[in-house]
Amino acid sequence: MSEITLRIEGRYRRETTDAGRLRTTLHVEEVAALAYATAAERVLDGEERVVATRFAGHEREHSDAVMTMILALALEVRRHAVEKDVDNLMPGFGSLGPRETLAALLELETAAIAGQQALGRQLANLDALRTVAMVMAGGAQHVVVLRDLLGDRPLTNLY
Amino acid sequence: MTLRRREFLGALAAGALLFGCAGDEDPAVAPDADVLAPLLAGEQAAVAALAGLAGATAIRDQDRRHAARLRTVLAGLGDRRAGAPASDPEPAGQRKQQNVYDYVAALPRLADPDLRVMVMELLASEAEHLAALRLATGEDPVPDAFAGFTPPLT
Repeated sequence: MSEITLRIEGRYRRETTDAGRLRTTLHVEEVAALAYATAAERVLDGEERVVATRFAGHEREHSDAVMTMILALALEVRRHAVEKDVDNLMPGFGSLGPRETLAALLELETAAIAGQQALGRQLANLDALRTVAMVMAGGAQHVVVLRDLLGDRPLTNLY
Repeated sequence: MTLRRREFLGALAAGALLFGCAGDEDPAVAPDADVLAPLLAGEQAAVAALAGLAGATAIRDQDRRHAARLRTVLAGLGDRRAGAPASDPEPAGQRKQQNVYDYVAALPRLADPDLRVMVMELLASEAEHLAALRLATGEDPVPDAFAGFTPPLT
């Protein structure tokens, strides 16, 4: 298990309430949006840059959806992710080459999905779980595209 | 923000508020087997829809394993429904999209938290299948951010 997976898993493990778990989901989605945007600006070219720019937009939509759910449940959001949070969750991300950048994004998506799947057992609010499920399904589709760009096979997971 | 997106976010908020107000009466909860049985039928329909589709062997194999997993769980719940493949297979992409919708809809109806995790896992796989099938035919593999819940305006 690499550093990104360990850090995301650790963040989820520390939380014991719906509020904390949903805030963690929001944080990871916000970091993903920043990471895709950074990758598009800094290191990726051509089709890979187009994909990263689009997926950054998707991750912002995911963040908006989770944020809407958090506010609807009258929960507090203490802070939003900023650029340094990318390095906290994905150490060294800013200095990776193109292929390693795509691999790090794939690991981020995969770890986010694992954390969100575990919420099936942990979240008491099942309407919030449905929102997390829609976000997770979007992330799972990103995984396919990232694997294809990396030449990984098979493209899909059994889970 | 587009109108569609506002509508989507509004629906999420309304759902959360309704859920929060529903504490006075316990809704009738279907036994978990009744929730899972249609999902098994969906997986079997996907296996049928993918028959003979070029490049879909790995996906079809994963669907068979999804169906086997659901069948095992249903048997553990005392449900011996075997399900039945669709007699008139749908287009594979259409079937996969429906499976994604059905898995999400099933989540809040399941009482057993471990079964909710299983459904989240199967959902992720089905969403991936949908993207991979689109990729294979040259379509945009991820046309929206929520695996079909917010289709782009055409």
